[in-house]
Amino acid sequence: MSEHLTILPILLPLIGGLLLLLPPLATTLERQRYGALLVAVLTLISAGLLLQQSQTEGIQLYVLGDWQPPYGIVLVADRLSTLLVMLTSLLGLASLLYACAGDDRTGAYFYPLVLLQVMGINGAFLTGDIFNLFVFFEVLLIASYALLIHGGGKQKTQAGFHYVALNLVGSSLFLFALGILYGTLGTLNIADMSTKVAALSDGEQALAKAGGLLLLVVFGLKAAMLPLHFWLTRTYASASAPVAALFAIMTKVGIYSIYRVHTVIFGANAGDLAFMAQPWIWPLALLTLLAGSIGALASPNLRELTANLVIVSVGTLLVSVALMNQAATSAGLYYLVHSTLVCAALFMIADLISHQRGKAGDRFVMSRKVRQPVLLGGMFFIAAMAVAGIPPFSGFVGKVLLLQAAQTGTEMFWAWPGILLSSLITIIALSRGGTTLFWRRSSDKSQAEPASRWHLAAVTLLLLGAPLMVVLGGPITEYTAAAAEQLHQVPESLHLLLPGGES
Amino acid sequence: MEAVYAACVGLLTFSGVFLCLRGRTFPVVMGLTLLSYAVNLFLFSSGRLKLEGAAILGTSFSYTDPLPQALVLTAIVIGFAMTAFIVILAMRARADLGNDHVDGRLPPQPEMKPRRKKEHA
Amino acid sequence: MSLFWIPLLPLIGTLVPLLSERFGRSACALFTGILPALALAMALSLSPQILQGETLQQSFSWIPAMGLDLSFRLDGLALLFCMLILGIGLLVILYARYYLSEQDSMSRFYAYLILFMTAMVGIVTANNLIQLWLFWELTSISSFLLISFWNHKSEARKGARMALTVTGAGGLALLAGLLLIAHIVGSYDLSVVLASGDTLREHAAYPIALVLVLLGAFTKSAQFPFHFWLPHAMAAPTPVSAYLHSATMVKAGIFLLARFYPVLSGTELWFLIVSLTGLATLLLGAYIALFKHDLKGLLAYSTVSHLGLITLLLGMDTQLAAVAAIFHIINHATFKASLFMAAGIIDHESGSRDMRKLNGLWKYMPYTATLAMVAAASMAGVPLLNGFLSKEMFFAETLHQVALGSLSWMIPVLATLGGVFSVAYSTRFIHDVFFNGEPIDLPKTPHEPPRYMRIPVEILVALCLLVGVFPGYIVGDLLSSASSAVLAGNLPEYSLSIWHGFNLPLVMSIIAMLGGLVIYYNRRHLYQFQAQFPEHDAKLAFERMIQSLVAGATRIHAFFENGSLQRYMLLLLLFALVLTAGPLMDLDTTAGLRPHLPIDTVEITAAVLLCLSALATMIWHRKRMIALLTLSVVGLIVSIAFARFSAPDLALTQLSVEVVTVILLMLALFFLPQKTPKESSPRRVVRDLGIAALLGGIIGTINYAMMTRPLTSISDFFLANSKTGGGGTNVVNVILVDFRGFDTLGEITVLGIAALGIFKLIARMRLFMPAGDENGRPWTRDRHPVMLAVISQSLLPLALLVSVYIFLRGHNLPGGGFIAGLVTSVALVQQYVAHGVDWIKARLKLDYQWLIASGVLIAALTGLGSWLFDRPFLTSWFDHFHLPWIGEFELASAMLFDLGVYLTVVGATLLILANLGKLTTSHRPTQPESE
Repeated sequence: MSEHLTILPILLPLIGGLLLLLPPLATTLERQRYGALLVAVLTLISAGLLLQQSQTEGIQLYVLGDWQPPYGIVLVADRLSTLLVMLTSLLGLASLLYACAGDDRTGAYFYPLVLLQVMGINGAFLTGDIFNLFVFFEVLLIASYALLIHGGGKQKTQAGFHYVALNLVGSSLFLFALGILYGTLGTLNIADMSTKVAALSDGEQALAKAGGLLLLVVFGLKAAMLPLHFWLTRTYASASAPVAALFAIMTKVGIYSIYRVHTVIFGANAGDLAFMAQPWIWPLALLTLLAGSIGALASPNLRELTANLVIVSVGTLLVSVALMNQAATSAGLYYLVHSTLVCAALFMIADLISHQRGKAGDRFVMSRKVRQPVLLGGMFFIAAMAVAGIPPFSGFVGKVLLLQAAQTGTEMFWAWPGILLSSLITIIALSRGGTTLFWRRSSDKSQAEPASRWHLAAVTLLLLGAPLMVVLGGPITEYTAAAAEQLHQVPESLHLLLPGGES
Repeated sequence: MEAVYAACVGLLTFSGVFLCLRGRTFPVVMGLTLLSYAVNLFLFSSGRLKLEGAAILGTSFSYTDPLPQALVLTAIVIGFAMTAFIVILAMRARADLGNDHVDGRLPPQPEMKPRRKKEHA
Repeated sequence: MSLFWIPLLPLIGTLVPLLSERFGRSACALFTGILPALALAMALSLSPQILQGETLQQSFSWIPAMGLDLSFRLDGLALLFCMLILGIGLLVILYARYYLSEQDSMSRFYAYLILFMTAMVGIVTANNLIQLWLFWELTSISSFLLISFWNHKSEARKGARMALTVTGAGGLALLAGLLLIAHIVGSYDLSVVLASGDTLREHAAYPIALVLVLLGAFTKSAQFPFHFWLPHAMAAPTPVSAYLHSATMVKAGIFLLARFYPVLSGTELWFLIVSLTGLATLLLGAYIALFKHDLKGLLAYSTVSHLGLITLLLGMDTQLAAVAAIFHIINHATFKASLFMAAGIIDHESGSRDMRKLNGLWKYMPYTATLAMVAAASMAGVPLLNGFLSKEMFFAETLHQVALGSLSWMIPVLATLGGVFSVAYSTRFIHDVFFNGEPIDLPKTPHEPPRYMRIPVEILVALCLLVGVFPGYIVGDLLSSASSAVLAGNLPEYSLSIWHGFNLPLVMSIIAMLGGLVIYYNRRHLYQFQAQFPEHDAKLAFERMIQSLVAGATRIHAFFENGSLQRYMLLLLLFALVLTAGPLMDLDTTAGLRPHLPIDTVEITAAVLLCLSALATMIWHRKRMIALLTLSVVGLIVSIAFARFSAPDLALTQLSVEVVTVILLMLALFFLPQKTPKESSPRRVVRDLGIAALLGGIIGTINYAMMTRPLTSISDFFLANSKTGGGGTNVVNVILVDFRGFDTLGEITVLGIAALGIFKLIARMRLFMPAGDENGRPWTRDRHPVMLAVISQSLLPLALLVSVYIFLRGHNLPGGGFIAGLVTSVALVQQYVAHGVDWIKARLKLDYQWLIASGVLIAALTGLGSWLFDRPFLTSWFDHFHLPWIGEFELASAMLFDLGVYLTVVGATLLILANLGKLTTSHRPTQPESE
């Protein structure tokens, strides 16, 4: 079985999701719940085993259909992809747990769709073939379309159309880019492409560059990079809590793809095209930080605030991409995991708060007291400190690592103010919001029923990361550093990625 | 021939993009469809054009590049699924929001002639 | 006996109050006190070594990647602060036991307080820059929690937010400063940093690092111009004011200055910034304090001014000044803490803090009054009290300053002026509160506090006296070891005696005394003078600033993010345009060397037709039906093009998809407006045309440039291995089901999910069926014409047969599961059209959801099958068999896979179209739960 471990994080949710659509599991909600939870746990376990395996035995290459690369499709389980697969599976489990409290009643197919979405994301992280990456992008996108409208309502439909239309154009651009890249490089295997880029003639180089930059547009759209971030706030703010929590990973898929394509294919050993995206990413990263911070200040409620904090986190990650050294990538990976967990938790907390504050919801206005001030307040406080990068929770480690990764004076000059000021604005926005949500209260009591055990289980699962990632900071940073090294030193691992030799 | 082919792809992109920028859902859907035609032709041509070279073994001496064709097939199917979804979403939007504007709310434009939307929605 | 227990014990202690609350208030206070007391005992037990000049260190590796170690150091400075923090902390715990009222949550208060204590101890014992910063931020957070302890009060919330914002900003600056220092020095280890002062001072980035660190220190210690947050932090309960905002937290900034004194000081820049800031703060604080009617307000501003005094001392370039600074840290902590506690008692027992009401309390609480007066006298710098000694040293130091060149004489003068003010407000504190007539309508009649509430005050006041009389015995060693830690060993000669003879500093003190009394006596005039100026409230100003910040953000946000898809789409396309246009500039020759194909008339006509119908779709897009027809023409020609350029499978697929798509779009159009209103302004139309044209041009150019260049691709492999390895002659199909079967698996998953999503959309869709077309003509009565019914019914078997045929030949000739599936579903859809939904429902017992799921499942399980032969997922298998009568035929796992594709396609298409069709009938698809 262990030789097939690499594909399990894709197959388990796929088959599980399909079984949930068939009798006997499809018949009752109870069976759906426990079936889905079981599958999610199994997926998480398999992801954990895979991570462990790829760490002990090095990069795992899974050759689908036994067709050797670069001809067939391969799955590549290196430190980077396995880490993100692990994260996705964890997030999926949390989202399912949260939904068990009742969000699953508000529409059909919730559990199958979540599992299929997890399958799509895991696939996107694991595949080593660029067209297959496109296919998995579509899987996770169509699943996200269906999940976004889960629960119904005007805002969802409205936000949904924007989201879908923009992403369909994005997919078209993706295909244009793939056409260009295949038409110039004549291959689809990412590792193989990386070997071919340098050898291109001038004309083909120009075309490949256009293709590569077009990919940057596509990934930027997924990652919500300025000026393509506009869809995010509304989409995330209108999605139902467990869905929004799951979406917290979606922007990271875009970031991941930028890491993969623009450090592996157009990275150090790409000849004239080496790091061609840098000049674009630097300003866009800082502007994304700015846009997110402005949005955070302007947010009228906690959901939108969290959505804008997601944009801030994207900006921070883009800075790590722009710095483009191993330390920065390592810092970025740490920050990616942390911000995903915390933002997901914040979406759930916002939902719990709005349930308990009567018709004021999670808007920053005076209202009745929440039913469980200590519990929700505590959770919010932890999440807020973590996301703002205030010690002792996980945020500060990521931020400090990233600041340290800025080596030269110019890098410091650009990166430091951006990151530090955005943290300050985050602190201001969160302290305003939090004090209003919990402390500016009218006298009348809240009749809302307290948060259910499922809710708490889900939020706890996510929030545990905040302290744990600091306590275990040593090993985690070691891991991310190793992952960054693997990413930046593709030539060293080519013999693993292309056993058949370069075509 | 390549020039004509490329011109057609360009023109399809042109009309598709223009329709994607319209303010009502249905034209946008049509624009996306046009765009997907352009995409499919483009992706297909990444294997270069060839006459009488269908990749059916034994039918000819030199074959066209089959890989892009497979990719386009996948792209067509996915495109179909996506088009289906967004068109139904457009209907749903009309049902929920009472109009078929992409933003779900009608832009305030005095000079516009009275719209006949109210009868249905 | 380990050093790191000193911070660890309080850390554990934060839980104690939460656990011990149920045993009653006194017990809770008692238990809470135990662990800090232990920590203090430990610090004291270590003190002999420290006082002999040792520096204890202990370190554990934590996150090496960021240079963060858990590393502690205990030297004189750290010891001094530990004793202040833990000692005064214990007194505050005792005091708070009686101060807090029944409805205040004692456990919460103590938990925050001990958390803060931990953070402070962490700062002063930190031996690692990042660790130092970590605890630094922790103090900001815990002070936020303590200031907002009474969070139902608006001023508490605002004060807390202000403090958090200011100190938080300072904290970030400090972080940057520390990282910069570490970057210069090359280590995060404080001992290393302290050892490499010269490299630091000579480095080009020294000024930046210095300014950043000073920002951190000044914000924390409420130095001008960041002083405004401290008075508003007085919304906190008085024990907090006594502890955080006079004795300890505000000293953290001072501590930072002292800690980095060996490496950062000694430059012109340091002296200028630090001394001038200190001087300004000293004067401003003292002056404002004079006019505060609120007891705590007065003390708050006097705290600001004393912090300024210490800063000024650290900013002077003599070593004695540093000693004086340390000495004054001790003295100020003792007398100011006791004063706050006294103020708290007065507030507690008389119900007011307004000095215009509080008069003549001497009669009611003589004992407390005495204590308060002694402390106040020490604040004023009256001889025989500790305040006097450090103030003398301060005056003495101001005399030999050269930092300001020829203007240096100003320093002693202004220092004396500050002294004058401080005497004045101290006098006011004493006279206004305890004498000066009778109390004016106080809420309750004042009386002495409970016995134990006074003990902390007594202890502190006793210290003031003892230090004042026997300075050498009480604090001599501590002071010297702390100072030598600040001065990196080279301690100057100084004497702590009370009497230095009749010298200039003494004269300055006397001037200060007399001047202060004079000013207080003429305070009326001074108040009138001050009354001319508008009272400006820092809190309001700050809130207004934040408000305007938010308002600005909201405006910008609303401007950019206006919720218009057209804009977002435009940005997306423009971005793509810009990024792709660049490289094409470098492309000097568009056409490549590959031989072009010839052109014939058929192709030309097809191309022209394609372009015309595309343009027609674009131009007539507002007449939707027509546009839809022209659109389908485009699709038709595209599929012809595929056929022409030797892609029969594509042609077939495109054609069948085209049919289904058009049916779908027509059904949808039935529910949507038939026409699009004309609403785009001419300008916008032109703009969009421009963008579209540019993008089209770029895509076309790239396409041409690409097609005319030769390509070496991996495809020969597929051609070579299709028959032998994949068992099929139709390479495209073999790629789909075998070489790249994984793509196809994903593709049908997408199709399936899309169908599910569409089902979700259609369920509960509130759409009215239009009574007629847009011209109001009613639909025909005869919904299912007989002719159509008969024909389609007779066509069905044929269609199914065809699809089976297409399916079977797929592996070797154009065809395959997908096309077959579409043909089948089209045939079935035709039945729906012909007979209506009910007729089908009665006859066709198919759950499309199950069909989809089982289809994808079959494909996936086919892939899994190869695991039985220890081959990776989706490894294909095929073989040829010979049966009598039938003859040679092939069985391949790929066919099973293709069957999965077939089922999925049928299921998905029908789930979509059938449910959409149902909308036209009476019964809509509904769900058990409401969507």
